[in-house]
Amino acid sequence: MSKQVYDVLIVGSGAAGGTLAAHLAAKGVDVGVIEGGPKIDTRTAFNTHSMPFDFPNRHIPTMRPGVSGFESERSRGLGGKTMTWNAVAWRLSHRDFKGRSIDGAGEDWPIDYSDLAPYYDQIEREVGVCGNLDHLEDLPDGIFLPPVPMKCSDMIVRRGARKLGVKVIHVRKATRSIASPLRPACHFCGNCMAGCDVVAKYNSYDVHMLPALKTGHLDLFPNSVVREVMVSSENRATGVRYVNRETRAEGEVRGRSVVVACACVQSVALLMMSKSQRYPTGLANSSGELGRNFIPHFTGGVEVFLKDLMAQPTTDDEGFLDHAYVPSFMHTRKRDFARSFGVQFGYQNRRSVGWARSMPGFGKAYKQSVKDRYPAFLVFSPYGEMLPNKQSFIDLDLNKLDAYGLPMARRHVAWGENDRKIFREMTRWSRDILEAAGAEFQNVDNEPATNHELGGCRMGIDSRTSVVNADCRTHDVPNLYVVDGSVFPSASEKNPTHTIMALAARVADYIVETLRKGEM
Amino acid sequence: MATRRDTLKIIGAIGSTCAFPFSANDLYGQQEHHHHPPASTPVQPARGPYNPKFFTTREFETVSRIADLIIPPTDTPGAVAAGVPEYIDYVVSNNRQHEKPMRQGIKWLHHQARKRHHKRFVELAEEQQIELLAPLSDAVDRNEMKTECQRFFRTIKSMTADGYYTSPIGLVQELGYKGNTVLASFPECDHPEHQ
Repeated sequence: MSKQVYDVLIVGSGAAGGTLAAHLAAKGVDVGVIEGGPKIDTRTAFNTHSMPFDFPNRHIPTMRPGVSGFESERSRGLGGKTMTWNAVAWRLSHRDFKGRSIDGAGEDWPIDYSDLAPYYDQIEREVGVCGNLDHLEDLPDGIFLPPVPMKCSDMIVRRGARKLGVKVIHVRKATRSIASPLRPACHFCGNCMAGCDVVAKYNSYDVHMLPALKTGHLDLFPNSVVREVMVSSENRATGVRYVNRETRAEGEVRGRSVVVACACVQSVALLMMSKSQRYPTGLANSSGELGRNFIPHFTGGVEVFLKDLMAQPTTDDEGFLDHAYVPSFMHTRKRDFARSFGVQFGYQNRRSVGWARSMPGFGKAYKQSVKDRYPAFLVFSPYGEMLPNKQSFIDLDLNKLDAYGLPMARRHVAWGENDRKIFREMTRWSRDILEAAGAEFQNVDNEPATNHELGGCRMGIDSRTSVVNADCRTHDVPNLYVVDGSVFPSASEKNPTHTIMALAARVADYIVETLRKGEM
Repeated sequence: MATRRDTLKIIGAIGSTCAFPFSANDLYGQQEHHHHPPASTPVQPARGPYNPKFFTTREFETVSRIADLIIPPTDTPGAVAAGVPEYIDYVVSNNRQHEKPMRQGIKWLHHQARKRHHKRFVELAEEQQIELLAPLSDAVDRNEMKTECQRFFRTIKSMTADGYYTSPIGLVQELGYKGNTVLASFPECDHPEHQ
């Protein structure tokens, strides 16, 4: 391995790591990206066009036979979760950044929308986000490619929502709706989350890192599962130690500064594994806040059959998965809770018919009832914002080691009173909207489930209550950064990746400025 | 059997990778405890005699008959033609937990057939077979799963639904699946009644 000392060493190659690497390399900074998983070719590695009957157990695995990758959270592959994400890309709003000031609960971000807006612009130009200009106070517009038309089912839901005064808008996704010189437009094959084989959907390897390699300022270290961030006696991060994914051999890479960007829980875990005399409970944890303030999104779920589509001919509508969205509307209404929720819906694909089991009876009538409902099936998933609480945190399970001999990360989640209220309200609204749209109910979740992991390395001004400052630099170690969902002080109800990329672009500017001043 | 909640828990343990809580396919085929890595060859619909891996020939006959009673041939082929019995055999042979309940359920059915009609289940007239299964199905629909045979019916019905609706016959021919194609543009909904 290279003995070179990089200007910046980034652990993780997903939305945060990939974006940051590209932005730094473009400005002449020498960057090394360390990724636990292998290099993955999105054109050939995934089962993008597979059907369940291609496999004896009828389950479509992530990787094609004989292709490695996505084995564990610590060894996914170059591009990380952007390889299999659904590409939903919202800007957070002023309300999301200043939730505490507005409704007195949770935490404010030390930055505001205006700080991140120019970086949202940059990211939209680079990755290509399609969407409609909706002029909503709570969901800022951006620089969008044309939106993808709504499906029949979206129109039916919109008709129902309208009766209740609720808006349904076009979803915004980092998937190209029109071609660019380098990337084709989406061809609506319908399996976005099984890896996009033409890169119409953004992934950080093909869109950010691959072009950055041409600058000569970027080196990639795949198959390197980082076990520790090294810190000198002068309290400066000096590089990382890793375990080779295939050979289990140990290695080191050095950097003048280090960025931890391995997706929320794993970033927390890596800092916790990097213990020393100075930092006995984990690196950059003088506040004791590392791992705390874990605030993943919680989702509910309502499965229905839309009456208007029952027994209708099937259509080819899985392409691009969900095309529409119910943006947050409660934040302007009278309510007895803080924060709000939004609803993603219609992202079920049509290759799985698990609900067929629960249709009653058997025989001809049963077969017909499944056939009639197949074109009408719709999943409605509200996403709520969780407030931080003491029982929700990330830690290491020192008794459970993974394949690399590293302790497993553990998630602890307890729902607070406000979370329960939002959950009840978002489930009620989902039912009402679908009722108004005309629906037969198949299943209504009565317990929240977590998704979109956020928090654990809270960003804040006060070094006693947060782990990183407004520039994602740790309060404790001047050349150590954390950039990913873990720094979110409050979660918002909006899918976080766009904000993670914008933060990465902002941190890149900050690091370049710091290097220019010779501070590092 | 794995409920959807169990599946979500498992996902929680491995970390949620994406905004897709309902992608959790809790297909029976996924609950595998392989001694050998699963074959990666495509499933071929039944051709010629099939040698069951778990079931005896007689048990396999019964499973096949039940599957076709659950999803019979209509204007499209039924469960047997779609290879469902082979799928069930695959699932049970890869998962010990299903072995005993399956075998005992089949035994119970034989016992009932003998007691009432002095014949094997597969030799009964279709109405007689339906008569034996109907109370089990009704109980399952009421979410009542007190007895082993009720649970047996629920399992074999779920496996039949899984196997059928993930087969080319079930998914494409019966349900009319149209995706996984290349479209130049997405057809906009222009139904006036949807606006």
